[in-house]
Amino acid sequence: MSALLEVSGVSVTFDGFRAINNLSISIGEPELRAVIGPNGAGKTTFMDIVTGKTKPDEGRVLWGETSMNLLGMSESAIARAGIGRKFQKPTVFEDQTVRENLAMALRNKRGPFDVLFYKPNRHARARIAELAEEIGLSDHLPRRAGDLSHGQKQWLEIGMLLAQDPRLLLVDEPAAGMTPAEREHTTELLTRAAQTRAVVVIEHDMEFIRRLNCKVTVLHEGSVLAEGSLDHVTQNQQVIDVYLGR
Amino acid sequence: MAKVTLAPRKGFLSENPSVLRFLGLLTVFTLIVTALSEGFGAGIVSTSFLKVLGMTLCLCLIAVAMDVVWGYCGILSLGHFAFFGLGGYGIGMWLMYARTEGIVRESLANAPIPATEGEVRDAIATQIFSVVGSTELPFIWGFAHSLTLQLLMIVLVPGLLALVFGWLAFRSRVTGVYLSILTQAMTLALSLYLFQNDTGLRGNNGLSGLQNIPGLLHLPQSTIALWFFWASALALGLGYLLFAWLVSGKFGSVVRAIRDNESRVRFLGYHVESYKLVVFTVTAIVSAIAGALYYPQAGIINPAEIAPITSIYLAVWVAIGGRGRLYGAVIGAATVSLLSSWFTGGGAPNIDLGFYEIVWTDWWLVLLGLGFVAVTLFFPKGIGGLFDYLVRKP
Repeated sequence: MSALLEVSGVSVTFDGFRAINNLSISIGEPELRAVIGPNGAGKTTFMDIVTGKTKPDEGRVLWGETSMNLLGMSESAIARAGIGRKFQKPTVFEDQTVRENLAMALRNKRGPFDVLFYKPNRHARARIAELAEEIGLSDHLPRRAGDLSHGQKQWLEIGMLLAQDPRLLLVDEPAAGMTPAEREHTTELLTRAAQTRAVVVIEHDMEFIRRLNCKVTVLHEGSVLAEGSLDHVTQNQQVIDVYLGR
Repeated sequence: MAKVTLAPRKGFLSENPSVLRFLGLLTVFTLIVTALSEGFGAGIVSTSFLKVLGMTLCLCLIAVAMDVVWGYCGILSLGHFAFFGLGGYGIGMWLMYARTEGIVRESLANAPIPATEGEVRDAIATQIFSVVGSTELPFIWGFAHSLTLQLLMIVLVPGLLALVFGWLAFRSRVTGVYLSILTQAMTLALSLYLFQNDTGLRGNNGLSGLQNIPGLLHLPQSTIALWFFWASALALGLGYLLFAWLVSGKFGSVVRAIRDNESRVRFLGYHVESYKLVVFTVTAIVSAIAGALYYPQAGIINPAEIAPITSIYLAVWVAIGGRGRLYGAVIGAATVSLLSSWFTGGGAPNIDLGFYEIVWTDWWLVLLGLGFVAVTLFFPKGIGGLFDYLVRKP
């Protein structure tokens, strides 16, 4: 297992507040990793930095075999390099159909002229149908995404993420607002995805993390407090003090 | 296994019946107006009104372009009339040059010593620019002698301006109201620049006599007007088809997604700025073509035509007609601009209230403002939105 993403010594300050403080994380491929921590620990900021939304003050973020420097790249170039992201709040394009949402995410050339002359082929249609099946939205393809339930929107977004076919999936609170049955389905989707690629999940729900059954990184005040199996980190006295004990 | 729905591949038009309906209506309208025109048919439609109709079609075309850039892509450009005006200036330069050249050559034909080409050029320059106290042909008129080159300029100049302006603005991620202000500044700057006498486009005099087409001076205006009317209808039809194709399919999907959540589109791997630039530039070029067809019918162009207010009217037309649907833009532009010329042209009878007389030339703008507020409050989808209502509840 070689490192796919290498974050080292990254710091970022917002108006004097140190959101990320000398953070170093390494993600392999394939790997399933959970990131936990109290509010304000810098979990989402970490994703913002990796996806290019926030530029850090110092540190390095390297990607892939060639150790590409992600810090110099735009959000869209990072996404094309193979990093997909799911947001905390489900963000799908509500005015468009489920099919259109998936088609947009589908891995294809992204240039304006490629897209202008794009014709959906048999393969693309089959892939969309397959994804819809996987996220349980087969019967909803022609529906407006805005008319879906909260859980269905979460899944549509996960489906869009899978459609991008990224090497690294960053998933921010995927189980928020889901019923227990939906959570189970989500766990299954994520563990299956993690067999072939790297998946990083931010989550608050310890029960959900337990079911993922993976390595856990605990963040606190912008840096790594502990790392290891869930049992290992939950026995760590510092983790109990700052996170679990509260 | 998933049930794979493999719909048969349909043509673009059969998938978008509204486009076909629009083109059909436009054709019928053109034929009826032609049959009633002075130059061809019964003469019920006067030549001056035919010109108004032709110009209205050009305004509909720029409104469709505005709808694509604003209604579909979410860029509230308040500067698209700058491109319309540049198109007008582009064609106007050739029209003035070529017609003046004809006059000059005719008057020099009987001179004892044949005039050299340099003398002809000097005479043309004096004719055109004496009004601003100059006898030199500015370098920007370098292509004005050739219709082909000048037609190319109509596309290239506004296209390049849009490309450079858009690249600078979008690259810096200027969005929303700030971008609108920037586009207003662009059209204001261009208009103020053109108002100066030494910019080579005759200052506030503008270019005039554009209704006289060189080489066709023997034809009556009723015939010329009809040709321009047809050309305007053709341009609107082709432009509508182009934009309908552009906003359908996956490109349209991405563009609407940019309107609704631009940063999310970035995380899908799309370079948002390139898409905006393509939409901005293509709509600017179509606006310029609309302008190049409009001003020969209007007969005159001057810098006031690209004052910031005109681009704001454009946004008002599209809002009243209904954003995000191309026919809505056509309805809005046609309705408001025809009503405007009826009210301000003395068509509407003034209302005497005894203590006060409502003079429509003064009150039209108030009426338009009230109409705009009413549409925004009660029909946020514009007049075009009423069609949805009719279709859903027959």
